[in-house]
Amino acid sequence: MKRKISFPDKDVIISRLKKINYKRKGVAFLAALLKYVVLASIGYLVLYPLVYMVSFSIRPYSDYIDPAIYWIPKHLSNIQFSNAQKVIDFIPSIKNSLIFEVLSAFIEVITCSIVAYGMARFKFRGKGILTVLLFAMIILPEQMIIIPKMINYSNLDFLGIIRLTNKIFGTNIKISILNTGFAFWLPSLFGVGLKAGIIIFIYMQFYKGLPKELEEAAWIDGANLTQTYLRISLPSSSVVLATVIILSVIWHWNDYYLAVMYTSKAESMPIAVKIAQMQTSLQTIGIWNGPYHVGARCAACLAFVAPMLVMYIILQRKFVQSIDRVGITG
Amino acid sequence: MKKKKMRGIEAIKEQYGWKCVSFWVVGLIVFFIYPLIQSIIYMFNETSPQVGYVALKFVKFNNFNDVFRVDPDFTNRLMASILNFLYTFPAVLILSFVLAIILNSKFKGRLFFRALYFLPVIIASGVVYSVLLGSQNLDTIQTDSSIRSDIFKTGEVIASLGLPEVISKYIESILSTIMDITWKCGIQIILFISGMQSIPPALYEAAKVEGTTKWEEFWLITFPMMVRTLLLVVVFTMVDIITSVDDKVMKQAYKFMELQSYGQSSVMLWSYFLIIGAMVSLISWLFYRIFAKKWM
Repeated sequence: MKRKISFPDKDVIISRLKKINYKRKGVAFLAALLKYVVLASIGYLVLYPLVYMVSFSIRPYSDYIDPAIYWIPKHLSNIQFSNAQKVIDFIPSIKNSLIFEVLSAFIEVITCSIVAYGMARFKFRGKGILTVLLFAMIILPEQMIIIPKMINYSNLDFLGIIRLTNKIFGTNIKISILNTGFAFWLPSLFGVGLKAGIIIFIYMQFYKGLPKELEEAAWIDGANLTQTYLRISLPSSSVVLATVIILSVIWHWNDYYLAVMYTSKAESMPIAVKIAQMQTSLQTIGIWNGPYHVGARCAACLAFVAPMLVMYIILQRKFVQSIDRVGITG
Repeated sequence: MKKKKMRGIEAIKEQYGWKCVSFWVVGLIVFFIYPLIQSIIYMFNETSPQVGYVALKFVKFNNFNDVFRVDPDFTNRLMASILNFLYTFPAVLILSFVLAIILNSKFKGRLFFRALYFLPVIIASGVVYSVLLGSQNLDTIQTDSSIRSDIFKTGEVIASLGLPEVISKYIESILSTIMDITWKCGIQIILFISGMQSIPPALYEAAKVEGTTKWEEFWLITFPMMVRTLLLVVVFTMVDIITSVDDKVMKQAYKFMELQSYGQSSVMLWSYFLIIGAMVSLISWLFYRIFAKKWM
């Protein structure tokens, strides 16, 4: 017996498909809406201080006392910036920040990468102890060792060498690296700079995730350490490199605690220290409180934050959006 | 040359390992271990700073006695800090993971939102946060959020759900401190995004061909590939919460440091960080036990 299979009409099928399509579109639309609502509502919290800073740093005194103005001022003026300039002296202090902090950030990015490569790729005696020390470096705060460190720096004695020469030759050499760039560069050069532990850890997690096969092939072909590091591992770590550069530069740029310990002279202070001390230094030039005080602080903070924001936008376009893991096929 | 070959590739690799870390070991000894030992010595001494050095006077366990038994504040602060850590930690982890997933998907204005969510990294990790909070008007943010929670009465809404009190209190505390938590999420989001982007897209393509749903895709590809990043973020978040400037123990230790009694501040910091260190190592050990065998 033949059974007739009845198909629905063509029109009915199309209309059903359309319904399904509408449903899907509706769900997708709702999901997108939810996404934007979440992003925007948390984004509002985050954006608030920036809008506040911009708004308060461009308005003159008359607009502060005008109750009709909330966000957008009626007049523009640069009085806040010029007040901030009086106490902070932007150009020299930004130059200090670049020379001391940013340079040592880049040194740190390079040295920590080498250390992490060694820790992640090779087995050697003493690695267990070094791992424990790495975790100690990550967990223990800078406040714990800052005083002995400062004393070290004010009378630098590298493994007792200077004391030894002083004893042998009867000289009296004392080297103080406080107020100079070396207080920032030296620790970075030895891979123990600002938050170096966490940076090494980021690199290590990444290098452990890279497949070993490429390097094994290189070992067999007779490549040495520098060759495998420079030609294989480094080129395939563009993602982590971008992350680490961003983090390290920002941490160094923002760092105030170490900088205030290492620099005591006004001409060698980075901008972060000057901003932290603004409250009192504004009072010394006669701005006690009120609108000018707030405005000048906002202006200074804006000038302080802006370079980092620009750096992030540029770097994330360059690195983060075009990632390809070189030479690795899934 | 011949000798090297005889010793095998493993020996050469061991050499290479030491070559990579040798300068770091020197740095560790000079800039980390030596100051650390000094701070341990401070714990048992009365300190009085002089020009260029710190004069020490041995006082046995007096500093410990002062901190734990004489000082009425310290033990309370210690408990408060640890409790604060216990509820902030999961909240930061979850919020930043969700935000990272959203920010990593493709949508219009992604660049703008990424730059936006990068602001906490710049502002909160540094001096700007405290400078701005020092100004009176910015305190309105805090009152703003509290007003909002008053309007919606989060406490009552959550209580009406009939959940156990512990859980509802937890949710309430998250909602009321969502502001602070958002400010702590910046770097975690960046780490998560960079972790997600290092997952080879070929995996997703293969999964699509096989016809997986988004849910399966998340649990079978994204999450296992993210375990390494997750461990990193777990460790970072713990350390970040503990060492933040508004931590109560850190504040008190800093105050004692300014009073130049380094011995007592060393005792505070060491006792605090021994507890924290135990917690961190316990959590990362558990993490390895649970996830590492499966996916790492």
